[in-house]
Amino acid sequence: MATTRFSPFELLLLKSRNQTDTAALLLLTWVAASKGSLSETDRQRLADMSASMRHGHDCQAILDIGARQDLDAVQLAAEVLQKDRWGTQASPFLRQAIEIAVTEGKLAAATNHILRFLADLLGTSPPQFAQLYLEVIGKPFESPEDPSREAYWQAREHARQQQRSQSEQRQREQQSHHRQRHSQEGTGGSRQGSGRPHGDKTLRALAILGLDAGATRSEIKKAYRRLAQTHHPDRFFALGERDVASASMRFQKIQKAYEYLMQDARSL
Amino acid sequence: MRDLYKRLGISQTASDAEVAAAIEACQHTALKTEASVVLGVKSRREEYDRLHALLCDIGRLRARLGLTHGQYWLDSAANDFSLAPDNDRSRHDALVSKVTQAVSLHDTFQRWRRYSPWIVAGGFAMIATATVAVGFLAD
Repeated sequence: MATTRFSPFELLLLKSRNQTDTAALLLLTWVAASKGSLSETDRQRLADMSASMRHGHDCQAILDIGARQDLDAVQLAAEVLQKDRWGTQASPFLRQAIEIAVTEGKLAAATNHILRFLADLLGTSPPQFAQLYLEVIGKPFESPEDPSREAYWQAREHARQQQRSQSEQRQREQQSHHRQRHSQEGTGGSRQGSGRPHGDKTLRALAILGLDAGATRSEIKKAYRRLAQTHHPDRFFALGERDVASASMRFQKIQKAYEYLMQDARSL
Repeated sequence: MRDLYKRLGISQTASDAEVAAAIEACQHTALKTEASVVLGVKSRREEYDRLHALLCDIGRLRARLGLTHGQYWLDSAANDFSLAPDNDRSRHDALVSKVTQAVSLHDTFQRWRRYSPWIVAGGFAMIATATVAVGFLAD
């Protein structure tokens, strides 16, 4: 004979006046808790949402169960919801889930996976769900980031570095501004004709094209055409595969440097 | 997302040394570099583990709810985190059976309570006759 002990969520569900609303509230809490921990603002939002539901019991208890991310409770809630809100009736619930899932315009990978699960659970197809997401948030629904890939971490490092360099640049600008003001005061408003300092990357790109800092746009173009012609892989076809490969590496390097310099508005 | 633990052939609870050994022994070069980038750094592994646990949960839920072929479950996460569907673990059915069990238990209890005065009386009568009989035999 199996145990007849009821779990806390089962008890709540049995007491509830509207089981579907109770289940929906639990799943919304699950979505909110997947962002990390249940924050105060999320609690407040969930409480506001539960005000319009007809479950007729204390919503604080269900928030506590949901914050624990109990898999059995989530499964039970999912079954109840699937039974009652499948298909066309799903969109109000999915709207609420999307609202809860996004904080400050950002959607965490974990929450993204949960939203995908909920869409599948309620029989909403990807185009429909993407449309719904676009309506609620105003941004397209993207596929979740993948931390099992190297690229994810590289992009993250890159973003962090950029942030750092931006703040450094801002500091430097402030300092130079300061210095300029000082020099202006000193020399009576004589302006220095030097342009903005070239970035490290720009200098490297210029070096690849065999140029010094301060090259003009037309000089860059000329140098690129000359180098591209001499290093084009097609020229090395007769010499064998190895030479073609090395030439194409050089060619790509030249091309990238050129593209970077043309994109970069700072280099004249 | 891919399940690097599964692909390396170790459990999620493996220690850092075990993970390093598995990465070292890995034959697949691409997997080797990616695993060392992701699992080799402690903070990255923690973040990866959090998402990994959630995807394991979602995989289990999908298996139990019959959603292993959902349209949003066709990417790399589906390859690594799908389980064989098992339909015998419906929580709602379990709840319903629990409720019916509780109700039947309650019913039998009520029935016995209705007869309880007669049972108690019968018990007393039995004890009385037994003592009388014992008294006769002792004499």
